[in-house]
Amino acid sequence: MTFPFRKTLLSASVSLAALFAGAAVMAQEAVFVLNTSEVGAPTYNPIKATNLNKATTLIFDRLVSQAADLSYHPWLAESWEEAPDGMAWTFHLKKGVKFHNGEPFNANTVKEWLELFKASENAYMTEAVAEVQVIDDATVKFVMSRPEPNLLYNLSSSYMSVIEPKSYKELGDNYGVTEVYGTGPFKLESFAIGQETVLTRNDDYTWGSPLSKNTGPAKIAKITFREIAEDSTAFLELKTGGVDMLLGVPADLIGEVKKEANLAVLTMPGQDVYYMPINVTKPPFDDIKVREAAAKAINQEEILASVFGGIGSVADTFLISALPEGHVPDADKIHYDPVRANALLDEAGWKMGANGVREKDGQPLKVSLWTQSDSIFRRLTEVVQAQLKAVGIEAEITTFDSSMIRDQYKTGEQQLAVRSYNWDNADIVDWFFGGDRLGYPNVSMFNDPKAEELRAKAMTGSKNMEERVANFTAYHDYVLTQFPMAPIYQPVDAVAYNADHLVLPDTINAPGIGPVAIMDMEVKE
Amino acid sequence: MTSWLIRRILLLVPVFLAVSVVIFLILHFIPGDPIDNLLKVGSSPQARAEMEARYGLDRPLPVQYGIWLGKVLHGDLGTAIVARRPVADLIAQALPHSLALGGLALLFSSAMGVMLGVIAALNRDRWPDRLIMGGVLAGSTMPSFWLGLILMLVFSVGLGWFPISGARGWTSLVLPVLTIGLGGTALVARITRVSMIEASARDFVMLLHAKGLSPLRIQLAHVLRHALIPVVTILALRIGWILGGAVTVEVVFARPGLGTLLIKSLSQHDYPVVQACLLMLAMAVMLGTLLGDILQALMDPRVRAAMA
Repeated sequence: MTFPFRKTLLSASVSLAALFAGAAVMAQEAVFVLNTSEVGAPTYNPIKATNLNKATTLIFDRLVSQAADLSYHPWLAESWEEAPDGMAWTFHLKKGVKFHNGEPFNANTVKEWLELFKASENAYMTEAVAEVQVIDDATVKFVMSRPEPNLLYNLSSSYMSVIEPKSYKELGDNYGVTEVYGTGPFKLESFAIGQETVLTRNDDYTWGSPLSKNTGPAKIAKITFREIAEDSTAFLELKTGGVDMLLGVPADLIGEVKKEANLAVLTMPGQDVYYMPINVTKPPFDDIKVREAAAKAINQEEILASVFGGIGSVADTFLISALPEGHVPDADKIHYDPVRANALLDEAGWKMGANGVREKDGQPLKVSLWTQSDSIFRRLTEVVQAQLKAVGIEAEITTFDSSMIRDQYKTGEQQLAVRSYNWDNADIVDWFFGGDRLGYPNVSMFNDPKAEELRAKAMTGSKNMEERVANFTAYHDYVLTQFPMAPIYQPVDAVAYNADHLVLPDTINAPGIGPVAIMDMEVKE
Repeated sequence: MTSWLIRRILLLVPVFLAVSVVIFLILHFIPGDPIDNLLKVGSSPQARAEMEARYGLDRPLPVQYGIWLGKVLHGDLGTAIVARRPVADLIAQALPHSLALGGLALLFSSAMGVMLGVIAALNRDRWPDRLIMGGVLAGSTMPSFWLGLILMLVFSVGLGWFPISGARGWTSLVLPVLTIGLGGTALVARITRVSMIEASARDFVMLLHAKGLSPLRIQLAHVLRHALIPVVTILALRIGWILGGAVTVEVVFARPGLGTLLIKSLSQHDYPVVQACLLMLAMAVMLGTLLGDILQALMDPRVRAAMA
């Protein structure tokens, strides 16, 4: 019984090759790791959830999709018309769209879904919709109680994912946990909270957003979304081929990823802004000159280079650059200007003292600078402290736990702080500077009569999108001229992927890696 | 014995009540509240007041406590404010993972610890003793997240024996169990060694030697039995600790569990979830001590006699 060794080896390698070939045909499968901030999301119920992860956007479609320039494009709604006075919107729906459980998507679905949505805690998004009228099977009319130029933005949000109303009512709290039905390119196969979600391709899908090249069924057949809370673990998984893509890479790991030959990083404009709120009610910052001086003492370029390794971009307004409302006159943008900062402080009566700290009436210019305990904030805040010192402001850092700092802001005792927000709509100006939310979110305690007037106009006085953009630009511009904060930095959203295994589309016409990108994504065979 | 057991169990009731008050108060006294985590940009201040009213957060603390305790006693842990799921469901999802990890780690550290402790005691002050005691000391001083990452680098990245992370199948349990178990081993080994040495110096051991029993038999059948009493006490106390103390290991190895659930809900101030998690951990400690007492009674006739 002696087998020729070479022959055995040959047949073994042949069968091994066959195995690999078989695997390759099957291999339209990918494993993604969710962003750490999305770990532990307990449900895929868009109506009830407060935290929805990326997989949600593949299970559901929305009426409207948003492009990279934040403009609005058709999705489940083929087209729409807005009444000139803003009091009605008519949506023409795509025909032939089906939910994963076979139920049709039509005008009635939209009506029932909005009714369910209105009973939720996110109802403010549609509170301006007074009534939904079903014109015919594929046409719905929203009758408005007031003009809502932000309607398209709301409809493009993942919280306004179109759910299947019948199963939603039947399943109750289990909708989104044990079963979930949407119209999206992927169906839920299994979901283990805090662990993983497995999605399989919806082969009937032909109604993708026109922003992706592929509007038919997705190229990837099966996606597993894993939840890994620790970034270094996720990185090791990526490095060893356990997973194919990390949907969020912290700035300090980007360098590590780039060192690996088979890994690649893709960055897209993010939705975060780092800034320094200035409490306008606390001396010395009740003097606008001191506020302007503090704001202009912040050297954004230096921070970008030294704290964030040059990845991302500087912020010179309160909004992310992609938003049209951020286009304020150049003179009102807030840039590093040490000469002006020093001159303003001199003018305000704060004279440079012997030890490099300014003084007025024998009092040193000492202020508090609050921050949260995450390491990136601590590092950034130390640099801000040094930059303030350079113009003669001595800032003393106090660090709070990130879940407690909001309550500390509510005391109104803060002078300066370093924080960040994540949002892609100009109404964030209202959120952080509205006079009725002093303390938190209005950390700057900013309550200015003219700003309130402009704010009311921006929030409720716009009939259509152009007016809204104009009104918000005016409001945002005015807020900037009052220096209730100093803009610092805009990070990028970075994803890391295994370039040997995944092919990403060359251009992604969306604000982030989401369904538009994943529809065009391929697994290498 | 039975009446002692009943008395011992009844004693748990006041402890349980005291623990529930402490848990409730601590949680509500730390700054921050769950509504902040629910509010989205754009919602109005009225919406906030409505939400507070909906979850009963506007009522006085004693009333809130009364409502919560009443429900808990009826087996209803409530609904998570931020996570929007019945708390019992969230815990039911997490608990099996914690029990598997904690149970195996406890088993590993007891078996390993007792074995090493016995070997060290038998070779007292010779090189195996020094080696073992030095080794376990080094093992116990390593922070568990670091040890976890090192084990991961060696066994998963380097050798490829086990998956790096996740909770799929038994292979993914090996490294987390080792990480937690190694820390516990040190404690068990040291206590076993010390109490073995102490017990060997007792008069009855001399008598056994005089009777001509083999030294190994004396050590394993008689001395070890005495020596295990403090070990069992320590192990019983560790039951609660192991369930909740695995947080860092759960995070590093991306495993769901009670620890991660607790940390996540604590950062969101999701009161019902945190309260339920802490209550689970407190109960685990309480039941662990009870179990320890019972085991001790079973092992030691003197304790049994004192009880009767």
